[in-house]
Formats: sequence, structure tokens, C-alpha cells
Amino acid sequence: MHTLLIEDDLTATFLTKRLFHHEAVPGELTTFDSPVAALAFIRAQVATHTPPDVILLDLNMPVLNGWDVLAHLEPLQEHLLGHCLVYILTSSLATSDMTRAQAYPLVAGFIHKPLDRHELHAILDRVRAKQVS
Amino acid sequence: MDTAASLATNEVRFRSLFENSPELILFQDKAGIILDANPAFLALVGETKEQVLNRPFADFLPEAIRPLFDQKLREALTGHAVRFDMYTHPGHSPTRHWDVMKIPLQEHGRVLGVHMVARDITEKTRTQEELAAQNQDLQQFTYIVSHNLRAPLSNALGLVDLLSQETAGSPEFEQTRTFLQHNLHQLDLVLRDMNAILSIRDRPGLAAPEPVALRALAEQVVHSLQDVLAECGGTVQLHIPAELRVPAQRAYLHSIFFNLLSNAIKYRAAQRPLRVVLTATQSAAGGTTLEVADNGSGFDQAQAGGNVFRLYQRFHAQQSGRGVGLYLVKTHVESLGGRIEVASQVDKGTRFTILLPAAPIDPAT
Repeated sequence: MHTLLIEDDLTATFLTKRLFHHEAVPGELTTFDSPVAALAFIRAQVATHTPPDVILLDLNMPVLNGWDVLAHLEPLQEHLLGHCLVYILTSSLATSDMTRAQAYPLVAGFIHKPLDRHELHAILDRVRAKQVS
Repeated sequence: MDTAASLATNEVRFRSLFENSPELILFQDKAGIILDANPAFLALVGETKEQVLNRPFADFLPEAIRPLFDQKLREALTGHAVRFDMYTHPGHSPTRHWDVMKIPLQEHGRVLGVHMVARDITEKTRTQEELAAQNQDLQQFTYIVSHNLRAPLSNALGLVDLLSQETAGSPEFEQTRTFLQHNLHQLDLVLRDMNAILSIRDRPGLAAPEPVALRALAEQVVHSLQDVLAECGGTVQLHIPAELRVPAQRAYLHSIFFNLLSNAIKYRAAQRPLRVVLTATQSAAGGTTLEVADNGSGFDQAQAGGNVFRLYQRFHAQQSGRGVGLYLVKTHVESLGGRIEVASQVDKGTRFTILLPAAPIDPAT
């Protein structure tokens, strides 16, 4: 399993890495603090038909925020839908963000930080279900 | 029903409305000549009915807006009521915000003239604008609480949880502890920001405006940043006449200079030494123009749009800005009754231009 984390906050990245370590998540975790670099990476992965299984996407980032990243992913949608689950990861409690996220077919879920082990295992279950089907 | 009597009653009713209405009511013929004017209009322009009748209404309007009124009159003469609003000062009255209606008077399908009714909506508009501004403040406040306060807090929650899983004394344990410390510090900073923002908003307790010697103040701010400037090899040039005085709250001007200079230092270009030029000029009327121009990394103005001055907006990926400085600058400039503009080019530099009025807003009002 390949997970991509797009997050500019160093603490949040550290937390996610340690959580993956302690929960013994199989496969690889690739982290990007630059959404621009992350998008280039995703495009390259799509080109070789190996999109990541999960993208954890922070909303509040300078230059390109999470919504901008989603907009940039839209052209790749047909290659990602059914293969890649995008989860919005945000510290914001604003309900408007959650409503807005529901409008994106790519978005599989909305998680309030910090990501905990229960939420992580729920994601892993969905990835496994997807792989079986 | 007696038709003559009902007509008379109608006449009394409408005459009463015309005479007693606080709104301005005029009757104009097709050429725009005033055939009747109510007491509210006469009181506003300070003339008697005899002086006003048979004169073109345009006489009472500033030249610049006569074509507009002429056009609206002609629209009404086609048989349609027209409504518009504008800032103007009929006669020698003070400038007010008017909601104007022109209603054609028709008989047997022919337009005989036009009734003009004008209502003073100055206070109403002002209240609406104040409410809109307060609403925006509240929205920003909600945003702070829901994101910027919660971000370090959610980190801290995750870190505390993690501490119990890491082995005490391990490098990961120490790293977790350091992150925890950093995030609690961040939480404190956000609370301080909120305090700074809120204390501008409720103004009582603020010093009265005083004539501030701008050059001395700028020197003081530059001095307080001397260490960071020396460290990065930056220079600040002051083109501010020593005698220049700005009527303002000193603390606001200090904050404006300090935040703009700090920003210039933070977002300097790596490949050349920072140069900042501070310029101040005063017009004959007493208005002051301040300019803070740097040769720093600049930002993409098209991408930033109108968001540069908004709270917690950041435009640089590499820097750890919290997006508070420019918001404070704008709030302070506006508290002084001024406005701020920015021009920036990526890798060329940024120029802030601040226009301050001759007389500042009285904080008591």
C-alpha cells in the first residue's frame, strides 16, 4: 500500500509518520510539504499506472491550498477514481469545509486532526475492501 | 358617493403628504423646470418657494451630476418610474446619500411631468456598512478560532497521545517533546494575536491623536530591528523630512512601520542584500503619503488577488509567516482614516503605499 501525505505543518507530518510506525501500516508513506511537488509526483505515478492508494491532504497551506490541489486533481479523476482514496485532513472545525468537501467525487473522507489510530484503521479497511473487489 | 367631495378629500390628503413629508418632493415639467417644491426641499436648499419655482432643477445640482439627472428625467418621461441612489449636495446643503425616485405623471397616456421624491439614506447606508464590517470581523474571528487556534491544539493533542507510546529517552520521545513545546508556544502566539486584533477593535483606552514626528519614529523602528538587519546585511534608507508631522496615534504608526519592515526582512531575496526605502511626503492640504519599497522576493499579485491583507493569509511557502502582520497594518491604517495599496513583482520587490488624511479619525466617535 502506498500512502501520500500532503502537509506543510512539520508537526502534523511527524505525527502521521509516527502513527504509521506504531500501527505497523504496510507499504510506503511518502510525504510532501509542497503541494506543487506532490502534484508532479501524482501525475508521474498516474502516467505509470501506479497511483497512490491513499492521499492524505491538508487544507490550509500557503501558495496552493487543499482545494487548489483538488482542482488540479480533477483532470486526473478518471485515473484516480476507484484506485486512490483522498482524505481531507484538517484542524479546522468549520462545517462549511466539510460540506464543500462532499462535492468532490475524489474525496473519500474528511478527518479532523489529529488523525488517530481508529480513523487510520478505518482507512486501511477501505483500502483492503477496494483491493478485494 | 359624491365625486366632488371625494376629490376634495383626495386633494387634502395628497397636499398633506406633500407638505409634511420629510422626503424631498418636486414636480418638474418635461423641460426639468420646477413647478412645485415641498417644504422639505425648500428647507434643504434654504430658499423660499417663490425663489425656487420656475427655475430648472439643474440649478440646484453640482455640475458633474447634471447629465445624470437629465438622463434619468428623460427616462421617466418615457412613462417609466426610475430609481437610483447617489451622493450629492443639492444647493449648498452638505453631501448626503440620496435615494431618488422619478415618477412620471400621466394623463390619457401623455406624460405631463415628473414627480421627484428623494430620501436621505445616509444613516441607513452607514449603519449597513458598519454592520457588514462587523460581520466580516466576526467571520475572521470564527476562522481564527476554528483553524489557527485549533491547529497547534490538535497537534498538541496528538503529541501527548504519542508521548505515551514512545520510549522515554529515545530520540523520538525527545522530538515529540520538542514539537509539543513548539506547538504550545504557537498556541500562545495565536492568543496574543487575537488579543492584539481585538484590542484595536474596541477602541476605548486609546491615546488621542498627536502630531507624530515621522522621521524620529522611523529611526526608532529601524533601530529596534538593527540586529536582524545587520545579520542579513540589509540597509534602510529614510527619505522623510525631519520636520514632517503626522496627526495620528503614535502606536499605530509604530506598528505600521514595524510590521512592514519586519515583512521586508522576512521576505528578502536570498541572492541580493536587502534594500528598503522609506519615503514620506505631505501635500499642501496636509495629507501624507508613506511608501515602503523593498527589493525582496515579492509575490505573485495575480495569485494573491485581494487577499494580501486578510488575516492568516500566507503567500510564501518557505517562510513561517503567520499572516497577521499585514492584517494589523491594514487595520491600523484604516483606524487612522487612511488606506493602503500594494504593488509587487516576483523577485523584484514590493512597494506599499499608505495614504493618510490630514485629520485622523477621532477614536472617541
